[in-house]
Amino acid sequence: MKSGRVLVLCGLLLAAPVVAAEMGSMVRGEELKAEPFRDAKSVKQLAVGDKVQITGKDGGWFKVKAGKSSGWVRMLSVRKGEAKSGVSAASSLLALASGRTATGKVMASTGVRGLNEEELKAAAFNAQELQRAESYAAGKADAQQFAAQGKLVARQFDYLPAAK
Amino acid sequence: MRILLKMMAVCVMGLAGSASALDLDGLRDKLKSQLPPEAAKVAQVAKEVQGPDEQEEIAIGRQIAGNLLGAAPLVKDAKLQKYVNQVGRWVASQSERPDLSWHFGVIQSEDVNAFAAPGGYIFVTLGLYRLLQSEADLAGVLGHEIGHVIRKHHLKILQQSKLVDAGSQALARQSGSSRVQQLIGNGAEIVARSLDKDAEFEADRMGVVLAARAGYDAFGLPAVLQQIGHAATDDNRVALLFKTHPLPADRLAKLEDAMGDRFDHVKGITLEKRLQRVK
Repeated sequence: MKSGRVLVLCGLLLAAPVVAAEMGSMVRGEELKAEPFRDAKSVKQLAVGDKVQITGKDGGWFKVKAGKSSGWVRMLSVRKGEAKSGVSAASSLLALASGRTATGKVMASTGVRGLNEEELKAAAFNAQELQRAESYAAGKADAQQFAAQGKLVARQFDYLPAAK
Repeated sequence: MRILLKMMAVCVMGLAGSASALDLDGLRDKLKSQLPPEAAKVAQVAKEVQGPDEQEEIAIGRQIAGNLLGAAPLVKDAKLQKYVNQVGRWVASQSERPDLSWHFGVIQSEDVNAFAAPGGYIFVTLGLYRLLQSEADLAGVLGHEIGHVIRKHHLKILQQSKLVDAGSQALARQSGSSRVQQLIGNGAEIVARSLDKDAEFEADRMGVVLAARAGYDAFGLPAVLQQIGHAATDDNRVALLFKTHPLPADRLAKLEDAMGDRFDHVKGITLEKRLQRVK
C-alpha cells in the first residue's frame, strides 16, 4: 500500500513536465493566428494532421507551437493526445489522475473502481447517503451570493440550434 | 325538450345498459359509477402523453439517486460537496427550471462519468472531477447534465419503455418507493442506459450555453471532452461512458459546428483558483 503510493508519486514526477507541453494535432486546416481572435494577423497556414504543442489557453483558443512558429488556433480545431515519438499519449491528465505513468502502465490499482451496468443494476437504495447528499443543497440565494463572490455575472444567451 | 330527453335517455341506456330512463336518481347513481373509470382512463392517457408531474418526477429521481449512491457513495468531503452544489445551483438558475430543488454530488468512483436523474439529481464521479482544471470546466459538465434534466431525457426513455405504464398499474396495489422502484427497473440501471445520440449532442449544446449564461467561459465542457478524448478507448475507467455516449471526437465536432463563431466575443471567466481540489 505504502509502496504503491510512492510509485504513484514517482509517476507524477516523471510525467509532470510532459503535461506542461501537451501535444495535439489539427483536425481542421486553419490559419495560425498571431492573437486569439478570428481576424487577427495570420502567422501561417496549418493543415489537417499538423502537430502542435499546446502551451496555453485563452477562452476558446489554444496557444501553440507549430514547428518554428507560435501563435493561436481555435481550441476545437485541435485534437489532444497526438504525441511526438518518444512521448506517450498516455501521459495525459487522465493517466495522471488514475495513477498511470507516461508508459501507460498501471502503477497502482488500489481504489480503482469501475461503475459497470451490473453494479448499477444490483445497487440497493441507500437512504442515509441520499439524505447526506440532500443536506448539501444550495439555495438560489446562496448560489447567487457564491456567484457574486466569484464575480460571475449572469447574461442572456440563446440555446444553440443543432447544426445541419 | 321531450325529444332531447329521450335522446339522452337512449344514450345513457347505451352506456348504462339496463338503466330505466325514468328513474333519474338511479340514473345519476349509474352515471357516477360509470364515469370515474372513464375519467381515470382519460387521466391515464394524458399522463402517458405529458409524462409524470413534477412531484412524481422528483420521486422517481430520488429513488434513482438513492440507488446510485448505493453503488457509489458520496466522497466524504463536505466542503467539496457544498461547493459543487453552489456551482451547480448557479448554473441551474440560468435554466428554464430555476426553482427545482437541484442536488449535486461527487461520488466515490474512479470511473470517468456523470449522471443525471429526473427531478434535478446530478452526480459526477471523482474520476471525472479529477480531470477538471477550472470552475468553468465543472460548470460545463454540470450544464450538460442539467440539460438532460430540463429536456427530461431519462423520463422519456422510461415512458418509451412502457415502464411508466407498468408503474401506474402497480400503483393500484402498492404505495411509496416500491412503486417508484418498479417504475425505474433494477437499481440505478436507468442512468447507465444509452440515450439517443441527439439527446447527448443537445445536452452538450445546452451545457456550453448554460455555463456562458452563468458568466463562465463557455469552453469548459469542450475542454473536458478533449481531456476525456485523450484517454485510451480500452481504459476501463471510460468504458461505460464510451458505451453510452457518442465518442468525444464526435461530440467535439458537433459542438464546433453548433458553436461556430457565436462565442467569439463572449468572454467568460474560468475561476481556476476557486476550483476545489481533491486528494
